[in-house]
Amino acid sequence: MGKRGGLIRNRIRDLRESAGGMTQQELADAVGITRQTVNAIEANKYSPSLEVAFEIARVFKLPLEQVFQYGA
Amino acid sequence: MSFREKSLWVMLLGLAGASAFYSYNVASVNQVLQPDIDWRAMSVLPPMVGLFIAAVVVLVVFSVVGHAVMAIVDRRTGEDERDRLIALKGEQIGGFVLACGVFFSLWLAVISSGNFLFTHLLLAFWVLAQMAEYIAQLVIYRMER
Repeated sequence: MGKRGGLIRNRIRDLRESAGGMTQQELADAVGITRQTVNAIEANKYSPSLEVAFEIARVFKLPLEQVFQYGA
Repeated sequence: MSFREKSLWVMLLGLAGASAFYSYNVASVNQVLQPDIDWRAMSVLPPMVGLFIAAVVVLVVFSVVGHAVMAIVDRRTGEDERDRLIALKGEQIGGFVLACGVFFSLWLAVISSGNFLFTHLLLAFWVLAQMAEYIAQLVIYRMER
Protein backbone atom coordinates (compact mmCIF):
# COMPACT_ATOMS: atom_id res chain seq x y z
CA MET A 1 0.00 0.00 0.00
CA GLY A 2 1.33 3.38 -0.85
CA LYS A 3 1.15 6.21 1.60
CA ARG A 4 -2.58 6.63 1.82
CA GLY A 5 -3.88 10.04 0.98
CA GLY A 6 -6.32 11.79 3.24
CA LEU A 7 -5.24 15.08 4.71
CA ILE A 8 -3.23 16.13 1.66
CA ARG A 9 -5.40 17.58 -1.11
CA ASN A 10 -4.32 18.82 -4.50
CA ARG A 11 -5.49 20.81 -7.53
CA ILE A 12 -3.71 18.75 -10.15
CA ARG A 13 -6.81 17.97 -12.22
CA ASP A 14 -7.76 21.67 -12.43
CA LEU A 15 -4.18 22.64 -13.20
CA ARG A 16 -3.97 20.09 -16.00
CA GLU A 17 -7.10 21.51 -17.56
CA SER A 18 -5.75 25.04 -17.19
CA ALA A 19 -2.56 23.94 -18.89
CA GLY A 20 -4.36 23.31 -22.16
CA GLY A 21 -5.84 19.95 -21.29
CA MET A 22 -2.62 18.23 -20.34
CA THR A 23 -3.26 14.50 -20.04
CA GLN A 24 -2.34 12.37 -17.03
CA GLN A 25 0.16 10.55 -19.22
CA GLU A 26 1.85 13.82 -20.25
CA LEU A 27 2.15 14.89 -16.63
CA ALA A 28 3.41 11.44 -15.64
CA ASP A 29 6.08 11.55 -18.36
CA ALA A 30 7.15 15.05 -17.31
CA VAL A 31 7.52 14.02 -13.67
CA GLY A 32 8.88 10.51 -14.22
CA ILE A 33 6.07 8.51 -12.64
CA THR A 34 3.35 6.28 -14.05
CA ARG A 35 -0.06 7.48 -15.25
CA GLN A 36 -1.67 5.27 -12.60
CA THR A 37 0.23 7.12 -9.88
CA VAL A 38 -0.93 10.50 -11.23
CA ASN A 39 -4.48 9.16 -11.15
CA ALA A 40 -4.08 7.93 -7.55
CA ILE A 41 -2.65 11.31 -6.47
CA GLU A 42 -5.49 13.23 -8.14
CA ALA A 43 -8.04 11.00 -6.41
CA ASN A 44 -6.31 11.67 -3.05
CA LYS A 45 -5.64 7.96 -2.67
CA TYR A 46 -1.89 8.34 -2.62
CA SER A 47 0.28 11.07 -1.14
CA PRO A 48 3.44 11.51 -3.20
CA SER A 49 6.93 11.93 -1.82
CA LEU A 50 8.29 15.45 -1.43
CA GLU A 51 10.46 14.97 -4.52
CA VAL A 52 7.48 14.04 -6.70
CA ALA A 53 5.33 16.81 -5.20
CA PHE A 54 8.02 19.39 -6.02
CA GLU A 55 8.40 17.97 -9.54
CA ILE A 56 4.64 18.26 -10.14
CA ALA A 57 4.65 21.85 -8.89
CA ARG A 58 7.61 22.60 -11.14
CA VAL A 59 5.74 21.27 -14.20
CA PHE A 60 2.93 23.77 -13.50
CA LYS A 61 5.46 26.51 -12.62
CA LEU A 62 3.74 27.08 -9.27
CA PRO A 63 4.88 27.01 -5.64
CA LEU A 64 4.22 23.70 -3.90
CA GLU A 65 1.50 25.10 -1.64
CA GLN A 66 -0.57 26.19 -4.64
CA VAL A 67 -0.68 22.62 -5.89
CA PHE A 68 -0.91 20.71 -2.62
CA GLN A 69 -2.77 21.72 0.52
CA TYR A 70 -2.43 20.04 3.88
CA GLY A 71 -5.49 19.58 6.07
CA ALA A 72 -7.72 21.65 3.81
CA MET B 1 -4.49 -1.98 -15.91
CA SER B 2 -0.80 -1.12 -15.72
CA PHE B 3 2.03 -3.29 -17.03
CA ARG B 4 3.01 -4.03 -13.42
CA GLU B 5 -0.48 -5.35 -12.59
CA LYS B 6 -0.53 -7.52 -15.69
CA SER B 7 2.91 -8.83 -14.74
CA LEU B 8 1.59 -9.75 -11.28
CA TRP B 9 -1.34 -11.62 -12.86
CA VAL B 10 1.05 -13.57 -15.12
CA MET B 11 3.24 -14.53 -12.14
CA LEU B 12 0.21 -15.47 -10.03
CA LEU B 13 -1.34 -17.65 -12.74
CA GLY B 14 2.01 -19.22 -13.59
CA LEU B 15 2.71 -20.07 -9.96
CA ALA B 16 -0.80 -21.49 -9.47
CA GLY B 17 -0.48 -23.62 -12.61
CA ALA B 18 3.01 -24.91 -11.79
CA SER B 19 1.95 -25.70 -8.20
CA ALA B 20 -1.13 -27.58 -9.39
CA PHE B 21 0.99 -29.53 -11.89
CA TYR B 22 3.52 -30.46 -9.20
CA SER B 23 0.96 -31.31 -6.50
CA TYR B 24 -1.13 -33.54 -8.76
CA ASN B 25 1.89 -35.47 -10.03
CA VAL B 26 3.52 -35.84 -6.61
CA ALA B 27 0.27 -37.22 -5.21
CA SER B 28 0.13 -39.73 -8.08
CA VAL B 29 3.78 -40.78 -7.56
CA ASN B 30 3.15 -41.19 -3.84
CA GLN B 31 0.12 -43.39 -4.43
CA VAL B 32 2.15 -45.69 -6.67
CA LEU B 33 5.47 -45.82 -4.81
CA GLN B 34 4.48 -45.36 -1.14
CA PRO B 35 0.84 -46.58 -1.04
CA ASP B 36 0.56 -48.09 2.44
CA ILE B 37 3.23 -46.21 4.33
CA ASP B 38 2.43 -44.23 7.49
CA TRP B 39 2.14 -40.55 6.51
CA ARG B 40 4.65 -39.56 9.18
CA ALA B 41 7.31 -41.85 7.70
CA MET B 42 7.04 -40.72 4.06
CA SER B 43 10.16 -39.46 2.35
CA VAL B 44 10.86 -37.37 -0.73
CA LEU B 45 11.56 -39.72 -3.64
CA PRO B 46 13.90 -39.05 -6.60
CA PRO B 47 11.00 -38.75 -9.13
CA MET B 48 9.60 -35.90 -7.04
CA VAL B 49 12.83 -33.95 -7.47
CA GLY B 50 12.45 -34.37 -11.22
CA LEU B 51 8.84 -33.17 -11.00
CA PHE B 52 9.94 -30.13 -9.00
CA ILE B 53 12.49 -29.22 -11.66
CA ALA B 54 9.80 -29.70 -14.33
CA ALA B 55 7.41 -27.42 -12.41
CA VAL B 56 10.10 -24.72 -12.15
CA VAL B 57 10.72 -24.99 -15.91
CA VAL B 58 6.96 -24.70 -16.56
CA LEU B 59 6.82 -21.58 -14.36
CA VAL B 60 9.83 -19.95 -16.02
CA VAL B 61 8.60 -20.68 -19.56
CA PHE B 62 5.09 -19.40 -18.74
CA SER B 63 6.50 -16.21 -17.19
CA VAL B 64 8.87 -15.51 -20.07
CA VAL B 65 6.20 -16.12 -22.73
CA GLY B 66 3.58 -14.15 -20.76
CA HIS B 67 5.85 -11.14 -20.34
CA ALA B 68 6.95 -11.30 -23.98
CA VAL B 69 3.31 -11.25 -25.14
CA MET B 70 2.53 -8.37 -22.75
CA ALA B 71 5.50 -6.38 -24.05
CA ILE B 72 4.28 -6.86 -27.63
CA VAL B 73 0.65 -5.86 -27.05
CA ASP B 74 1.17 -3.17 -24.39
CA ARG B 75 3.54 -0.31 -23.75
CA ARG B 76 5.87 -1.18 -20.91
CA THR B 77 5.80 1.43 -18.14
CA GLY B 78 8.59 1.93 -15.66
CA GLU B 79 8.38 1.48 -11.93
CA ASP B 80 7.92 4.47 -9.66
CA GLU B 81 7.84 5.18 -5.91
CA ARG B 82 4.22 4.02 -5.53
CA ASP B 83 4.99 0.69 -7.21
CA ARG B 84 7.95 0.20 -4.87
CA LEU B 85 5.83 0.95 -1.78
CA ILE B 86 3.12 -1.45 -2.93
CA ALA B 87 5.76 -4.12 -3.59
CA LEU B 88 7.16 -3.61 -0.08
CA LYS B 89 3.71 -4.02 1.47
CA GLY B 90 3.20 -7.21 -0.55
CA GLU B 91 6.58 -8.54 0.59
CA GLN B 92 5.66 -7.76 4.20
CA ILE B 93 2.48 -9.85 3.94
CA GLY B 94 4.27 -12.64 2.05
CA GLY B 95 7.02 -12.65 4.67
CA PHE B 96 4.49 -13.13 7.44
CA VAL B 97 2.91 -16.11 5.63
CA LEU B 98 6.36 -17.64 5.03
CA ALA B 99 7.32 -17.20 8.69
CA CYS B 100 4.13 -19.04 9.73
CA GLY B 101 5.03 -21.80 7.25
CA VAL B 102 8.54 -22.18 8.65
CA PHE B 103 7.10 -22.46 12.16
CA PHE B 104 4.54 -25.14 11.18
CA SER B 105 7.11 -27.02 9.08
CA LEU B 106 9.56 -27.17 11.98
CA TRP B 107 6.80 -28.47 14.22
CA LEU B 108 5.99 -31.13 11.62
CA ALA B 109 9.68 -32.04 11.31
CA VAL B 110 9.75 -32.79 15.04
CA ILE B 111 6.76 -35.14 14.98
CA SER B 112 7.52 -36.98 11.71
CA SER B 113 10.37 -39.35 10.89
CA GLY B 114 10.28 -38.96 7.10
CA ASN B 115 11.11 -35.73 5.30
CA PHE B 116 8.16 -35.68 2.84
CA LEU B 117 5.69 -33.73 4.97
CA PHE B 118 8.25 -31.26 6.27
CA THR B 119 9.59 -30.56 2.79
CA HIS B 120 6.20 -30.22 1.18
CA LEU B 121 4.63 -28.12 3.91
CA LEU B 122 7.57 -25.75 3.60
CA LEU B 123 7.20 -25.71 -0.18
CA ALA B 124 3.44 -25.16 0.08
CA PHE B 125 3.91 -22.20 2.41
CA TRP B 126 6.56 -20.74 0.11
CA VAL B 127 4.05 -20.92 -2.74
CA LEU B 128 1.30 -19.47 -0.50
CA ALA B 129 3.63 -16.66 0.59
CA GLN B 130 4.39 -15.77 -3.02
CA MET B 131 0.71 -15.87 -3.91
CA ALA B 132 -0.18 -13.74 -0.89
CA GLU B 133 2.47 -11.23 -1.99
CA TYR B 134 1.06 -11.02 -5.52
CA ILE B 135 -2.59 -10.92 -4.40
CA ALA B 136 -1.90 -8.23 -1.77
CA GLN B 137 -0.28 -6.04 -4.42
CA LEU B 138 -3.14 -6.57 -6.86
CA VAL B 139 -5.70 -5.69 -4.16
CA ILE B 140 -3.80 -2.51 -3.23
CA TYR B 141 -3.58 -1.46 -6.89
CA ARG B 142 -7.37 -1.94 -7.17
CA MET B 143 -8.08 -0.06 -3.92
CA GLU B 144 -5.93 2.92 -4.89
CA ARG B 145 -7.40 3.29 -8.35
